[in-house]
Amino acid sequence: MTSWLCAIDHKRIGILYMLSALLFFLAGGMEAMVMRAQLAAPNLKLITPEIYNQMFTMHGTTMIFLVAMPVLTGFGVYLVPLMIGANEMALPRLGALSFWLQFFGGILLYFSFATGAAPSAGWFSYAPLSEKAFSPGVGLDYWALALLMIAAGSIGSAINLIATIATERAPGMTMRLVPLFVWMTLVTSIMIVFALPALAASLVMLLSDRMLQARFFDPSQGGAPLLWQHYFWIFGHPEVYIVVLPAFGMISEIIPVFSRKPIFGYPFVATSTVAIAFLSYGVWVHHMFAVALGRNFLAVFAAASMLIAVPTGMKIFSWIATMWGGSIRFTTAMLFAVAFLLEFTVGGLSGVAFATVPVDWQMTDTYFVVAHIHYVLLGGTVFALLAGVHYWFPKFSGRMLDEKLGRWSFWLIVLGFNTAFFVQHFLGLLGMTRRVYTYPNLPWFGALNLISTIGAAILVFGILLFCANIAMSLFFGSVAGDDPWNAWTLEWAASSPPALQNFAHPPEVRSRRPLWDRKHPETADWMRV
Amino acid sequence: MTNRRAQLGMTMFLTAEAVFFFLLVLAFAYFREIPALIAPRVWLCTVLLLASTLSMWRGTAGSGLWLWVTIAIGVAFLLDQAVFFGTTFFILAGIHGLHLLAGLIALAMGPISALRAIALYWYFFTAVWLAIVLVAYFWGAA
Repeated sequence: MTSWLCAIDHKRIGILYMLSALLFFLAGGMEAMVMRAQLAAPNLKLITPEIYNQMFTMHGTTMIFLVAMPVLTGFGVYLVPLMIGANEMALPRLGALSFWLQFFGGILLYFSFATGAAPSAGWFSYAPLSEKAFSPGVGLDYWALALLMIAAGSIGSAINLIATIATERAPGMTMRLVPLFVWMTLVTSIMIVFALPALAASLVMLLSDRMLQARFFDPSQGGAPLLWQHYFWIFGHPEVYIVVLPAFGMISEIIPVFSRKPIFGYPFVATSTVAIAFLSYGVWVHHMFAVALGRNFLAVFAAASMLIAVPTGMKIFSWIATMWGGSIRFTTAMLFAVAFLLEFTVGGLSGVAFATVPVDWQMTDTYFVVAHIHYVLLGGTVFALLAGVHYWFPKFSGRMLDEKLGRWSFWLIVLGFNTAFFVQHFLGLLGMTRRVYTYPNLPWFGALNLISTIGAAILVFGILLFCANIAMSLFFGSVAGDDPWNAWTLEWAASSPPALQNFAHPPEVRSRRPLWDRKHPETADWMRV
Repeated sequence: MTNRRAQLGMTMFLTAEAVFFFLLVLAFAYFREIPALIAPRVWLCTVLLLASTLSMWRGTAGSGLWLWVTIAIGVAFLLDQAVFFGTTFFILAGIHGLHLLAGLIALAMGPISALRAIALYWYFFTAVWLAIVLVAYFWGAA
């Protein structure tokens, strides 16, 4: 126990990140189910509007800050040193500090329930609703303080990952040879360094308003609520890519291995990530189209938002081209990766629809937004994560996940997810607004909401089956061996699970597939170029 | 090698801090909440901080005594900064002051191997103060 609490080894810190994310994922999932139960039929009164507001605020905040970011950081912290042939992170103690800041930030956020007033202003807490006059409870103070801690933790782990990738690579591993997951983790970490401080600055100003009688966001005293929106989304839009780019990295590792082909267009996949990072800082206003900001202003941000579809589309085509002509093995990991391509594309396309200003005006703050964000974050990030867990679990634990259970959970999750969220597109088009605790009995509203709730229940069942698979395989799974997938990157050269010292000898790197070269010296990649 | 990691880590951290302070100062300037800092004590503050970078620079060259001089000047700066207490501007000055306090603690208790990284931190927050003073001089509310 103490050895885990005091751990500074990157593998243990990585596992701690993943476990804490799983814990909060279950909490956030329960909050979602409370909402879906309340919305199952028109005019239901299972919970009060106040509780409903707390549920969607905590659900959103939890899933973004306590699940998506930490679990991706966990994969990064665990895998990056292994993939670049290093034995440790560059700044191990900073790694531990970052994790505990993040974890206790989460505990602090959830402690607000014990005060009887969890935050209830939504995950982006728009001013002036978040001001003392309209949110007098302490919940919002907990929210702001917890997010400050989480922001500090995220910046710490990002700095650590950057320093690790910059200084710890094995001899011979240039930036042209690092695995794409490492590339995307690097770009994500740089984005965190530039984006999270904007959140921290907004939170400091909000706390000053609430506790020190400042008046940044209070229009009655000369403040500007729009300033909150600008600052929050200067953080918030890059944040979307922060929680999706590492998932792209996972997909870029998994699809080639199960297609038995190297990634198609490595330089394009890597550089399009950089393009996404740059563009993501120039699109924040597309969250604010409903604010009257002037036509030319909106046109610029609409164009920039559509532009992001180009580098993102390049990646999708690279993954498809990798599979094209490959000998594909449909393991559970590969199934999730292929499902990711489809689900994420749906989310990406509804995103392009939103970039069109008049469409946004019609659909903003409806269930169309809810459907869009869930196709991106669940259909995108979570599907890639599930692919990643099925792919790397043998490395983490030394045991294989059960393929049969894996397939069952895969089909349940796909069925449940699409049932729950696809119909929300139609609800949005019909005009159902988000964040309202109930709705009148209008045509289709009741039926579509009931379908959505049933879908959510199926999704929960699939997730629980996935958790059961992990718990059982940990003890009864077949022994994995070092390299169960016949893969190419260096983490599979270490033992499963890796020893405290990952590599007894620094690995030799001469191509993008160092393990392939070692296994097939006669047809090594570096001999071909 | 350790030093290179620490320097790189500190550079990235200060990059994040630069974004943080840029947005804060921007907001304060936007609302004209930075007073025109013409009081002599403000200039004393600034001169003190500039002097501390000199002593820090001497200290990193290997003299422990100069590091204690830096700490003494830093404490004097923080005490002098209390002149803003009670104004909205103190929120900004106070956040800057808290960062300097953290720097002083690191300087007093941190390992000698981290000295260069701490010095980098100190120079950076001197620069932040100069930026605030410049904004105040050209854009401060009378």
